Amino acid sequence: MKVTFPYMGSPYMYEKLFSLLGHEVIIPPRPSLKTINYGVKYSPEFACFPLKVIMGSYLEAIELGADTIITSGGNGPCRAGYYGEAQKKILQNMGYDVDFIIFDEPKRDYKDFLNKIKKVKGNNSWIDVARIVNIVYKMASSMDKIEKIIERKRAYECNKGEFTKAWNEISQMYRKIRVSDDVDYVEKEALKKINSIKICHVSESEKIRIGIVGEIYVVMESSINNNIEEVLNAYGAEVERSHYISEWIDYNMIPLPSYKSKERQILKKGEKYIELVIGGHAKQSAGGIIDFMERGFDGVIHLKPFGCLPELITQSVIDKIIREYDYPIISLSIDEQVATANLLTRIEAFIDVIKIKRERLKIAR
Amino acid sequence: MKIGIPKALMYYFYYPFWKTLFENLGFEVVTSDDTSKTILDVGVKESVSEICVPMKVFTGHFLNLLYKNVDYIYVPRFVSLSKGIFMCPKFMGLPDMIKGLFDNVDEKILTHNIISKDLDISNFNNYKSFINKFGIKKIDLKRALKSAQQEWIMFRKLNQSGYNLNELLSERQPQKINSDITIGLIGYVYNVYDKFINMDILNIFRKMNINVVTFDMIDEKLIRNRISKFKKHMFWEFTNILLGTAYEFMDRNDIDGIIHITAFGCGPDSILEPFLTIDSEMHKKPFMTLRIDEQTGESHIVTRVEAFSDLIRLKKYKDNIKNQAEEYAKGAI
Repeated sequence: MKVTFPYMGSPYMYEKLFSLLGHEVIIPPRPSLKTINYGVKYSPEFACFPLKVIMGSYLEAIELGADTIITSGGNGPCRAGYYGEAQKKILQNMGYDVDFIIFDEPKRDYKDFLNKIKKVKGNNSWIDVARIVNIVYKMASSMDKIEKIIERKRAYECNKGEFTKAWNEISQMYRKIRVSDDVDYVEKEALKKINSIKICHVSESEKIRIGIVGEIYVVMESSINNNIEEVLNAYGAEVERSHYISEWIDYNMIPLPSYKSKERQILKKGEKYIELVIGGHAKQSAGGIIDFMERGFDGVIHLKPFGCLPELITQSVIDKIIREYDYPIISLSIDEQVATANLLTRIEAFIDVIKIKRERLKIAR
Repeated sequence: MKIGIPKALMYYFYYPFWKTLFENLGFEVVTSDDTSKTILDVGVKESVSEICVPMKVFTGHFLNLLYKNVDYIYVPRFVSLSKGIFMCPKFMGLPDMIKGLFDNVDEKILTHNIISKDLDISNFNNYKSFINKFGIKKIDLKRALKSAQQEWIMFRKLNQSGYNLNELLSERQPQKINSDITIGLIGYVYNVYDKFINMDILNIFRKMNINVVTFDMIDEKLIRNRISKFKKHMFWEFTNILLGTAYEFMDRNDIDGIIHITAFGCGPDSILEPFLTIDSEMHKKPFMTLRIDEQTGESHIVTRVEAFSDLIRLKKYKDNIKNQAEEYAKGAI
């Protein structure tokens, strides 16, 4: 079984999971122009961008020899939950014989779910599986912790590119993990590495902090959002995203209430603007904007794929939030047509707006 | 009290229900004007640029009603019309969207969640909030719902006997036409029956002497039967119905071709698309997608429908000759 999976954020966590379970893993290449071209060519024209990119990733992985695709399903009404079924249909029609293992909520079909788990589990005992899942979860949390620090500190690095280089090296270190204790060791090393990078001092009052909310795929996958975090860092702004994979696991996979509290709070903050959970992360995005605002962030960037169903409702309420609080928010659509120059110009203008607003407030005081 | 119902989205499917309900509750029911250039332009201007055209049309109709000085504008939140299946997220966030787009309209919007087990939306629990809001008696509400339900069922019965919704809504005498070909038209009610937005496509068909069957004219049981063969259903009620209808059309001999009419940027339809294109090819049914948006021109639609129907007629003609030839050949041997 040569396993592959959608490329979203760092792929090493999934690689670790499946390779520890004893499968041969084929990491799809980081989405590039080739991936996007592939995906766009074979996907429905108006499918959302993540479907097209993931489709491209699958095709590239199949070229590399993958024969099993493992992905998550969903309950809707966001389209993402049906990606697997649609992609399966298209790939079959193209003549590829690949095995799709789509993990839906167990309650949809317990037997089917168990069969899929057994397939992925291989010959490992349940104790081993628990151990492996624990290692991977620990690794994901640890990687997210380091990434959060980098997203903040990279804004002030003296020599451009040092943090990104360090992050790539750290990722490779995480790849080598075998047992649970390794995670602690790598984390310590990573922190040491990060702290040794020279940082130029910026006074507290001049720091800019920007939050990113929106659809999970375009927020998390840097190759298709034009490395928006690095771009913002390069303009001297600290960044925090609304989605991290470990938080997604906390909310969606761990059935303990204490792990759900953060997401619940954010949902509550969005309730004023979007009453129900309407699929995707629409309500979380509205809540996330309020959350970032309350935590004193200077502005929020809202990212969504072109034509995203739930996020369009969020975009509709954003204007109201802006009017109500006089708070800088920019909504950016991402698809295969987006040009980097356009994105850069808009982000630059956005940062200028934040700076000017700050000056204005200073004068007013 | 005047209540305004926008002539957009589910209006075409549920208007008889809503009209009877609100009139029985003592409201005066006002609808917005037919979709026009002004309404569309206003909607396009006020709503988010990327959203699909039916939502823009709805926004236009909402504004149209605002100017008509009604006390309430009815913006229901359709959540789910069968267990585990939702509506498009845009329907589920419709009141939120309208509240987000305009200031000071919150009191004017009459909204409540619609959750039901089937297309019949007369479940009392959905309308409970009316009791306090308008100070009506529970029994009156129940009675009004009952008669609304009966009215709607009548409407659907007529609908399924072959009359299209526009004929039923306008109280025009339904006309039967003698045509040589029948096309299955797949599309949501607000795309099929909004004459302005689709350039009156039903009339175009009629002029070309083509008979049209839409999903609402098909017996629901047949559709449900088709859908049940899917292991994992699509998440959207009417998309599911369209999928079932499409498979029904593909297997039926009296349907000569299928046209899928969809709005630019429709999300659920983009997932529906691969299933329709791939399977209609397998079933050897001619299939075409017509995409409509605020930029669509009439000649574009006319040309494409004309070409499509010519193709079908040609195919039919050739098939006939082939069949005849085969029959003659049989005799010869």
